[in-house]
Amino acid sequence: MDDKFQTIGQIIGGGSSRILIREKDGSKLELGGLLVIDDADDQTLILQINDLEYRSLIPQSMHELASGMNLEGLGTNLEFMEPQLRNYIVSRSKAILHLVDGIPRIPKTLPTYFNSVRHITEKDLKFLTKPKNPLYLGDVRSGSKILNLPIYIDASEAIPHHILIPATTGRGKSNLVKVMLWSLLDLDNFGILVLDPHDEYYGRNELCLKDHPNNKNLVYYSPDAPAGTNTLVINIKSILPDHLKEIINFSSAQNDAIYRYYNTFGNEWIIKIVEGVEIQDISFKTLQVLKRKFDNILGVYFDELGQFQSRNNIFSDTAGKTTIKDVINSLEDGKIVVIDTSRLLGDAEMLVGSIITETLFNRYQRYKLEGSLNEKPKIGVVIEEAPRVLGKEVIEAQGHNIYSTIAREGRKFNIGLIAITQLVSLIPRTILANINTKIILGNEMAQERAEIIGSASQDLSDDNRTIASLDKGEAIVSSIFTKFAVPIQIPLFEEYCSEHIKESEHQNSRSKREDKNIAFI
Amino acid sequence: MILVNELYKFAHVSDCHIGAQKYPELKKIELDVFNQCLDRCIAENVDFIIIAGDLFHSNLPNMASVKEAVEKMRKVKENGIPIYVNYGSHDYSPNETSIIDLLNSAGLITKIVQGRVDNGKLNLKFFKDPKTGAKICGISARKMGLEENYFKVLDRESLEYEDGFKIFVFHSAISEFKPEFLADMDSIPISLFPKGFDYYAGGHIHKRSINEYMGYGKIVYPGSLFGSYSKDFEINANGEKRGFYIVDFDIEIRNIGFIETPACEYNYIKYDASGKNSIQVQSELLERLKSENVTDKIVLLKIKGELSGGKTSDIDSKLIRNLLTKNGAIHVSINRHGLISKEHKKIQIMENNIPKIENKLFEENIGKIKVTNKELKSEKGVKFANELLNVLRDQQKPNEKKGDYERRIISNAVDTLKINDESENK
Repeated sequence: MDDKFQTIGQIIGGGSSRILIREKDGSKLELGGLLVIDDADDQTLILQINDLEYRSLIPQSMHELASGMNLEGLGTNLEFMEPQLRNYIVSRSKAILHLVDGIPRIPKTLPTYFNSVRHITEKDLKFLTKPKNPLYLGDVRSGSKILNLPIYIDASEAIPHHILIPATTGRGKSNLVKVMLWSLLDLDNFGILVLDPHDEYYGRNELCLKDHPNNKNLVYYSPDAPAGTNTLVINIKSILPDHLKEIINFSSAQNDAIYRYYNTFGNEWIIKIVEGVEIQDISFKTLQVLKRKFDNILGVYFDELGQFQSRNNIFSDTAGKTTIKDVINSLEDGKIVVIDTSRLLGDAEMLVGSIITETLFNRYQRYKLEGSLNEKPKIGVVIEEAPRVLGKEVIEAQGHNIYSTIAREGRKFNIGLIAITQLVSLIPRTILANINTKIILGNEMAQERAEIIGSASQDLSDDNRTIASLDKGEAIVSSIFTKFAVPIQIPLFEEYCSEHIKESEHQNSRSKREDKNIAFI
Repeated sequence: MILVNELYKFAHVSDCHIGAQKYPELKKIELDVFNQCLDRCIAENVDFIIIAGDLFHSNLPNMASVKEAVEKMRKVKENGIPIYVNYGSHDYSPNETSIIDLLNSAGLITKIVQGRVDNGKLNLKFFKDPKTGAKICGISARKMGLEENYFKVLDRESLEYEDGFKIFVFHSAISEFKPEFLADMDSIPISLFPKGFDYYAGGHIHKRSINEYMGYGKIVYPGSLFGSYSKDFEINANGEKRGFYIVDFDIEIRNIGFIETPACEYNYIKYDASGKNSIQVQSELLERLKSENVTDKIVLLKIKGELSGGKTSDIDSKLIRNLLTKNGAIHVSINRHGLISKEHKKIQIMENNIPKIENKLFEENIGKIKVTNKELKSEKGVKFANELLNVLRDQQKPNEKKGDYERRIISNAVDTLKINDESENK
């Protein structure tokens, strides 16, 4: 018999919430492992192991006595008779899927008592087909064993319904996002805006998205743009008072002053404040505070020669007049736009993202009104450290911002968030409830796990320990678009993309040859 | 003793678009501003002139306009002032048979774009101005922004390594410096330009600007001398000064001065027809226009809005034009793109730039064409179609025989399609 179909355990009790399975000696069942029970009439039950424990038919006092004798050297040759019969492991498993003629259903019945249990195989999960717009996440994992079965979600459904990636540091968030973006580069009908505070997705000095065979779908903006990419320069006149209000806390006097300057000078309002141009009824002190705030947040000031200057070279009074529009046009062309915000302070980074996202949102609202929304690519916005804009405290203090608006209403306009966070507990439940796909990576913080479990699309109430034990690169995909919470292994990005590049090497060399043939006039 | 370097100067001109205008009154202005520009260069005794593309509106323009322009350029040459040019997107020729090449061969102008592609790298050669020692190189435009391919393979390092006073001539929009109204225009990111040149002499953008960016010298667009599209005239009417730059330099730029080439005055009249029927609009407009001062002015009339009744064609453009001309207008341009009637709503293309309209139509319809060759599909297909259309629309020249004309068009089309012309062998 094929090893895969060997019996590895047997049902010995339990109920609908947890089924107890005695492990066959040496089978090495694992937490999170997927098991299969072949029941009668082409019915199959898939279970997942939530807990493992020792059981013994020998009284505990005997174990303790035998252990004492061994340790104290009084009976070095002591051993139990047929120990595999008397001492064993029992797993507590949860039925996660009932397959009737290969069609997945939510389990409502218990399998036959004493039925034998086997490891899962790729064939058991053949209902997990590749969707029309495949967004690759990883391969199915049973415990730590990886199956040769890639898991895709349909980007067309999942992106507008928002995706959350919760995990603590070092569990592979960036790796997952890279894998997802790499996969999305193969699709031509999704615009993805990536605000990249660590400048890690483009791959300035290492293998990353720029090396994708379809990198014509990638647009990169950076203040220090490598050849062929775009310089991140934003015209200061593109910034409206509302953009800043969403991000920065202003006193009511400062707020009034901002609008007075805007009404007086139009889109030159920041320049006039930074220049220190006084206007009636606005106190000198308020003006000075605003000047200092804009210098601290945006890094803009006037030098001793009376010239407008930007400390980070990102905000300009002359250049970058079309940057926002260019970014949005690229997104609308179905491209991935990575914006290196590593040189921006937190608020300025959020501001840049906010201006782009708000303009985009308004444009898509208009498309809906005109009836042309369905012709446009669906848009995803990747935001790191999501509580900065989706956090309860932020929303309470400053009201709803464009990101929380997208979280609540974006789906109607085909715009979704791909939010990354270490602290899910800071995001309001109302927003979490709108995020319909969660790719859960390892998390050792109990409170965070509780929040994740509480807002998951499937019942993960028994998976607390499983989530805690997720190793680097291991994840659980809980989504309204998957039949069950799928345990996956995310490939190491470098290996994944190297393989992909190798496959298209032949084509690349052909296009390089074409480049060499370019005639110059 | 303080050593003072001798100051040199050059003129930076672009987008003269000679031959763009089809109305005699506008043709006259077009040539008049060109003559003003070159006369001023002679008067200022510039050491050389750079014309950064689109000296002519097409690669084989109307010969009457060419004749007058050439006469003026000959005068410039006789004054010892060389004219350095690159192709613009309008006067580019894929097989180097443009009027630019003709004048270059005749020694009247000098094409300064020289280089070759070796192993996938474009190595540009510097042209050294004999008098000033200024080192000039650059990249010509191609139709529909295809010059980006040249920029992508450009060996920037060797250009950056060169010492001396350096000028880079180009005819492209730069993404970071595009004016807002040209947001949809194809552009090249600044990161593809070689750094460290003293001066970047740009063309293509019909609006003047002097830009600066870290690691680059002055990045300058003089804008169009007069204008070739109705949008240019709108910009003129809104107060944009047209002209060119004269740049003083020794080992570096000392001054950049703008020289205006005034053409004529404008009267820009906007009329909102919303809620009125076509008869009301016609009579109101005529009444209003009677009192407008249009003497010796180009009049731009923009009529927009949704008529409450009647057809847009009820508004008689000829009558309006006659009235304004009678009152002394040099030229009347009527823009009715924004005018629609309630009963006769139709799809409007919100563009007033013909290449853009063509491009839009290609983009919208390319998907309907069933072809297997990838080069003819999607974005690439649109670019090809545009290039081919530009070649095919070229008109027969005066005195050009029909057979010669056909052969020229076929040859240009074959070059554009990059296929072997089998018909030649038959």
